[in-house]
Formats: sequence, C-alpha cells, structure tokens
Amino acid sequence: MDFPILSLITFFPLAGAIFLIFIHRDRKNLLRSLAFGVTLINFIFSLILYFHFNPQASEIQLVEKGAWIGYGLKYHIGIDGLSLFLVLLTTFLMPIAILSSWSSIQNKVKEYFIFMLILETGIIGVFVSFNLFLFYVFWEAMLIPMYFLIGTWGGRRRIYATLKFVLFTMFGSLLMLVAIFVLYSLSNNSFNLFDLYKLSIPPNIQIWLFLAFAISFAIKVPLFPFHTWLPDAHVEAPTAVSVILAAVLLKMGAYGFLRFALPLFPDAVKRFLPLLFVLCLISIIYGGLMALIQKDIKSLVAYSSVSHMGLIMLAIFSLNTEAVEGAIYQMLSHGLSTGALFLIVGILYERAHTRLIKDFGGVSSQMPVFSAFFLICMLSSVGLPGLTGFIGEILCIFGIFKTNKLLAILGISTVVLAAAYLLWAFQRIMQGPIKNEKILSFKDVNKREIAYLVPIIIMMFWMGIYPTPFLKRMDNYVNELLNKVNKEERILIRTEKDNKLLFKIENLPNKEKNKEKEEETR
Amino acid sequence: MNNIFALLPLLIIVFSSLLILILEVFLKKENKNYLGFLSLFFLIICAITCVKFWDKGFSYFNGSLLLDKLSLFFFFIFAIAISFVVLLCMKYISLQDVNHGELYSLLLLALSGMMIMVSSSDLLVIFLGLEVLSISSYALAGLKRKDKKSSEAAIKYFLLGSFASAFFVYGLALLYGVSRSTNISSIINTFKSSSDLSLMAPIGLGLVIIGFGFKIAVVPFHMWTPDVYEGAPTPITAFFSVGPKAVGFVVLLRIFSPYWKAALESQTIFLLIWIISALTMLVGNLIALRQTNLKRILAYSSIAHAGYIMVAILSKDNSSLLFYLTAYLFMNIGAFAAVIALSKKGTEYLELEDYAGVGFKYPWIGATFSIFLFSLAGFPPTAGFLAKFYVFSAAVKEGLVLLVIIGVLASLISVFYYLRIIVYMYMKEPSREITINLENPALFLVLFLCLYGVLQLGIFPGNVLLVIREAVTSLVPLF
Repeated sequence: MDFPILSLITFFPLAGAIFLIFIHRDRKNLLRSLAFGVTLINFIFSLILYFHFNPQASEIQLVEKGAWIGYGLKYHIGIDGLSLFLVLLTTFLMPIAILSSWSSIQNKVKEYFIFMLILETGIIGVFVSFNLFLFYVFWEAMLIPMYFLIGTWGGRRRIYATLKFVLFTMFGSLLMLVAIFVLYSLSNNSFNLFDLYKLSIPPNIQIWLFLAFAISFAIKVPLFPFHTWLPDAHVEAPTAVSVILAAVLLKMGAYGFLRFALPLFPDAVKRFLPLLFVLCLISIIYGGLMALIQKDIKSLVAYSSVSHMGLIMLAIFSLNTEAVEGAIYQMLSHGLSTGALFLIVGILYERAHTRLIKDFGGVSSQMPVFSAFFLICMLSSVGLPGLTGFIGEILCIFGIFKTNKLLAILGISTVVLAAAYLLWAFQRIMQGPIKNEKILSFKDVNKREIAYLVPIIIMMFWMGIYPTPFLKRMDNYVNELLNKVNKEERILIRTEKDNKLLFKIENLPNKEKNKEKEEETR
Repeated sequence: MNNIFALLPLLIIVFSSLLILILEVFLKKENKNYLGFLSLFFLIICAITCVKFWDKGFSYFNGSLLLDKLSLFFFFIFAIAISFVVLLCMKYISLQDVNHGELYSLLLLALSGMMIMVSSSDLLVIFLGLEVLSISSYALAGLKRKDKKSSEAAIKYFLLGSFASAFFVYGLALLYGVSRSTNISSIINTFKSSSDLSLMAPIGLGLVIIGFGFKIAVVPFHMWTPDVYEGAPTPITAFFSVGPKAVGFVVLLRIFSPYWKAALESQTIFLLIWIISALTMLVGNLIALRQTNLKRILAYSSIAHAGYIMVAILSKDNSSLLFYLTAYLFMNIGAFAAVIALSKKGTEYLELEDYAGVGFKYPWIGATFSIFLFSLAGFPPTAGFLAKFYVFSAAVKEGLVLLVIIGVLASLISVFYYLRIIVYMYMKEPSREITINLENPALFLVLFLCLYGVLQLGIFPGNVLLVIREAVTSLVPLF
C-alpha cells in the first residue's frame, strides 16, 4: 500500500490534540466528543492494519522510510506480528479510556484530553519504530504527557508518584541512551534496527550493553526490584491513565526485551538468563503476595500486574516458540483484563469515593449488572478456560515447562495467587452483607459504562475461544526472533515447521487437559 | 582575502552603539522605545551582512580579524541573541525602572566585543574583545541602580572578572615568552615542534583556560554566576547566560581544535578538562536542586550546561558543540523570556511559590515555558534532546563512556528541578494570586520565535546542521 497508513495512525491523535488546543475550554462536551471521535477513528484506521497484514510474510510490513535528520537518524516505521497487536491494543483501549474519563474528569478537561491524545501518538510511535533513534524519541517523549496526566489529575500523593515515575524511567532510559551511542559507533553510524541485528558484538561489550537496555526495560515492565514506582503511579493516576499504564505502558518493557535486548545481544542474554529467571520468579511470587495484603483495590490490581508481568517475562526468557507466543498473547490478554479491572475499580470509585476494600461489601445486590462484568474480568485475569487469560497463561507455562520444569512449577503460582487475591477481593467487595449505608445509594452501571465494558468483554471471549487468528499472525515474528536469539532453536523449528500450525489448533484441547492434570498433581 | 569590507559588520554595530548613545541625550523619556527599534534595525542589517559575506572569506589586519564561516555563523547567532534581548528589554526597562538608553548601547558594545573575540585567532586581539565585552557587561549588570542586589552583582562581576582577565593576560604573556607569537596556531605549532617544552607553555595555556573557564562559568570558576545572574536585570541575565558563554566556547574551540591534533602528550590538559567537565555537570545540577529562586535555578542550570558543552570539546566534535550552543540559545532565552513575562510594574515574580497555578491561569506562557524546560532537561522532541544526543554520541565515539555516564546521570538530576518548576505551574494550588502585565507584544514575539527555534531544531534540524557542518570546516588547522 502506498498510502502512509502507519504514519497516519501514529500522528492522527497528535493532529487531534493540536486541533483541540483551539477549542474553548468551557465547551467540555465538545472537547470530550472530539477526543473520543479522534481515538475511535484511529481505531478504525488501525483495523485496516489488521486486515492488510500478511501473516505469511516474515519481514516487516507497511514500511515507511524517510531521510529525516540524516546521519543514521532516519524515519523508519513498519509493523510485524509483535507490533501489530500492540498497536491494535493501544488504539482499541484509547477510546475506552476516553469514555471512562467522561464524567470523572471535570477540571481542566481540555488539557486532559490533549495530553491523552499526545500519549497515544507516543505509544504507537514506540511500537512502530524500527530506527533505534526514532524509538528512543518516542520512548522519551511519551513520558511528558504521562507526567502531566498523573501529576495534574491524580490523587493526593500525585506529585510524588509522577516524579518517581518519571525519574525511574529516565534513569533507565538514559543508561540505555549511552548503550545506544555505543551501538551507533559500533555500527558505523546506523540506527537501522536491521543493520544492528547483523552486527556481531564482542561478548564482553554485549554484557554492558545488555545490562543498560535490560535495566531500562525492566524498570518499565516492571521486574522486581525496579517495581516500586508502579503501585504509587497506579494508585495516584486517574482511572483512564491507570488503564493505559497497565494495559499498554507496561507492555513496552516486554516489547523492548523482545525487539531490542534479546535479538541484539544474544550472547549476553544467555549469560544473564539465570539471574533474569530469578528476578521473574521473585516478581511473580512477591507481587502476588503483596496483592493479597493490599487494603486498596487499585494497588491490589497494580501488584497483580507485577505478578502477571513476571510470568510474561519468564515466558519470554524461556526462548521457545510456545513460550514467546504465549507471552505476546498474555501481554494482550493482560492488557484487556487488567485494563478492565482498573475500569471496574474506577466505576466503584466514582460511586463510593473510596477504594479501601473494607468500605465495601454486598455491592452486588445493588449493582447486579456491574457484578457480572466484574466477575468476568476477574475470572479472565485469573485464567478461567474460555476467557483470554487462560490461553495466554497456558501457552506461557507450557513453554516454560519445555525449558525448565522447576521454573514452570514455580511460575504456576501466578495463577494460584491470582485466584486467591482476586476471588477474595471479589468476595469482600461484592458479596456478604452491606456494610456501608452509602452502598444502598449506588446506581448500577449506566449506558456509557456498559458501552465501554462490553467491547472488552467481547474481546475476552473471542480471544479465549478462538485464538488462531492472533497466533497465526505472530508465528513468523516469533520464529524470526528465536532465529536471532537461538541458533540451536533454528534447526528445531525447521524440523517442526510442517506440523506446526496443526499442532497449534488441534492440540489445544490436549493442552488444557494437561494443564488440569498438572494442577491435580500439585 | 584582505578586504576593508571585513570590518563592515563590526563597524555597523559600533556605529549604532555610538549613535544610540548620542540620540539618548536628545530623546524625550517617553520616546526611548525608538532606541530599541533602532538597535533592532542595525542588528538586522548586521545579520544580513553576515549572510552576504558567507562565502567570501574576508579578513583584515593581516588575518587577525578573520571572517571565516565559523565567525560569521556566530555573528549571526549573536545578532539574533542580542535582538531577542533587546526585544525583551523594551517593556521591561520601563516596568522595572531601568529606563536608560545606555542599555541598548551597552548591549551593542558587548556584541562588538563578542564579534572581535570570535573572529580572531590572535590571543591579544581576543583579549581586546574580551575587555570590551567584560566592561560593558559589568555596567549592564548594575543597571538597576536603586536595587542593592544589582549593584552587588556588578561589583562581584567586576572584581572576579578582572581577576580572570589578569589570569588570561598572564597566561598569554607566558605563551608569548615560549612561542614569540600571540597567534593561536603558531603557539600550538611551537607546542608541537619543540621537543623539550619549558614548563611555561603548559602553565600559560592553563592560565588562559582558567581565564575562559571564568567566562563560561565552569566549576570551580563558577562562584560568581548565581549572584550575578540573580542581581542583574532579567533580560541581561538572559544575555549573560548565552552570549559570553558562547564566546568563551568559540575561543576554546579555536585553541583546542588545532591543539588536539598537535599535542599527542596532551594527557594532563585532557584530564584536567575531563575533571572540570564532570565536576561542572554534577555540581551545577546538584546545587540547583536546592534553589527556590527561578533566576538562581537557571543560573545553576547554565553552569551545568557549560559542563555538557565541555564534553563536546573533549570529544573533538566541533559541529555538536556549535549545535549545542545554538539550541541552548533558543531554549535558555526562551526560558528567561517566560520568567520575564511573569512580572508587572515594579515587581518580578521569581520565587517558585509564585508559579503555583500559572500553567492554567496563563496557558500560553505556561505551555511555552514548559517546553523550554523540557528542552533544557533534554526531552525529545526538542532541541535540547538532540543537542545532548549529538554531544554524548560523539563523546562515546571518542571512548569517553565514563564521562557520558556521568553526564546522563547529571541530566537525570536536572530533570528533577526542571520538572519541579512545572510541578508548581500545573500541579500545585496557588497560595497567593499573582497578576501580570500581558501587554507585551515584543516579549511574546521572542517567546514564539524561541519556541519555533526549539521545535525546529528538535524535529527538523537538517538545514541548520548543514550550515554548522560547513561552518566548522573553517576550523581545519593550518598545518
């Protein structure tokens, strides 16, 4: 396609933001509708990507190249099986996030939506850049709207939270910047990712470069011990920002590992794998245990993200086809289910103006429809078969099992812990006697709230029941990645290639059975 | 090519300065704004002349006044900077009671000093320019005559500045003793050719560097900066933070670009500058964390930026240095313009507390100021990011990885205090109401132009980079 559709999707929200500047600040509903319109149109544009994407092609698609600044700093964007879905996730959740902030944001509405739109451009830019410099520009630029969104519209400790978020992220990305400079000089002034993939970097340099990249991405994911910014940022951020933060921004860390840290420094990865495994396991268990003892629903969901992202990273580091595909799939489903959980918390907060679990109880008798939504989202996050979380988790654990049995057994604790803290939280909030008189006045979800929850629920079921269209588009990307990281793996895939697709669709029920068996034996 | 026309840009500026001084006597007080327009007119003519002379390569006084591309580039940049400062002054001087035509005249005189300094490769002539610049700067710092802080600034600047000049002259004398010349390239040639160099040579060079270290305010020669910046009238502070600094760096560039090539055993000097650079970045940023006065924050930030530019000198990448100076000009003058915007008759709002809520009360000022601060902090897609990017990437290429790590960590520290200003503007509830005078079209023009510069250099710097790359070609050493 000659038409620069990808640039359009990237910069359309920015154009929308510039347009919003000229609307008078008192016309709040117009501002909201325009922001919603822009993001919705952008989602429709991005659907074109989905249908135009050729699952058979192994190279990146819809490439756009331009000279831009020159000296290696080029405009180079495209999509492959990884970025396609992350872009779609972003454009899908953005209109939802805007809808969810319709009534909860009443002050400084204009600036809020401007920053939301700028944020969307930044995020999409990160996912489509194939020039390291361009990637870095988007990666850093995205911090600015995030900083304002948490700092201006956040809760009581918002300034602390937003500064912590920015400084943590900056710390990582500045170290990464130094590593980028080293890569730049090693590659003879090229930032083109494909030139960089071809470099053979001496292992002793690789170690340092990998460390710099890995710390930056680990902060973003976040992996233990770099996770401390996350609960603060989540608790203080407004609902819509929490949604985007959990659903998309955390994925950037995982994306960074997949796109840069692993394929660029394969030797260093091998050396650091044991350490990374341990960090992932600590994240899983620590995040889960922390979630159990949280008093605030939002920080409960935040810690559950730490735990889930730990599993995703564990799967990525297992470096086999099932695991990496499962990780990408789980990234999407975690985006949906955690995003939805934050929306749920936001809905509760709008009614009760508190997020402490002890203030709730018996809400389901007042809000039956809401209760159903909550239940589905929660079960999806726990990983109930038929919902999206299940497919992702099962693939992840399968892959991990192939690499290391002990890791898989320990990794399963994500699911167990998730069941524990989420079900317990659900029970305390929704069931039992009504503890608080305020709950009697709660109104059930209104049409707007239903309108933004239903698409997510539909996607949860779709991805839970029929995952093939998604997995099919990831295959080539995952093979390419593993080729780069793992030379032994390449041979393996070649022998397996013929029955690979069959394996995926038909063996899935078996996998479920295996999973059940596994849990029984535990 | 020896040509009398080489003097033209300089003559225009000196003539306009003197003309304004004379007119000042005859003009009535309410008509003094015309002096500003007049100086703008001459500055524009000067800038146009520079563009016309770009390829000519004129020189005069046996090459001691050389209009190579480097100096023309900086003539142009300085003309822009001074025009910005003049525009900033127009309203400011009547609001803050510094209503003197001398201000414009002194600014232009300072410009002529800067022009002499950048266009010469003879240290004695450079000293001449330095004195013209310094003496007008001392006077400019003290222009708020009824303000004690302003007088303090002038005295401090004068005393320390004179010491620095003395260091410089003494160093120059030693260098002359070694090489029997005051021309930079022949001095460096002596360094290169003589096998057993007397101790005088490195000491002399060291003293010259100290003299300029004072001008560009690098640690440990930075003590004067915060007080002078705080006391001087704000547009003048904007000028101090950009003009003398840039000049100092250009001279250092002229000294070092042949020096790196000539002296293989430059380890001591190299190490010295390495340490100065690291210290400057760290100390400047760390002290800025504790400041609550906007002018002092920007003063320490300008010290830190001098540290980053020193990295460019060490990495021997001249074009990144020029780019940094250009970007720094736009973002720093822009930031000062925003600070000046927050003032009314007789009052300037300079404490962080005053900025609470400004972002929503005055959205345009708040937004532009934020962009300048993001640029100073080095966020993309602004000029500040690209400038740091070029400097640090060149440094890594030269193998200065440790210095770059110190640099990026220092800029991480800087993010905190730049963002703190934004925190106040957007995220704090105002504790006291401030009202400002918004009828200041000249100032908004400067804000707009600086914003344009910051974004243009940050997103599409292509043409400027081309010009810069051409400008540094004239730095190729003579041997």
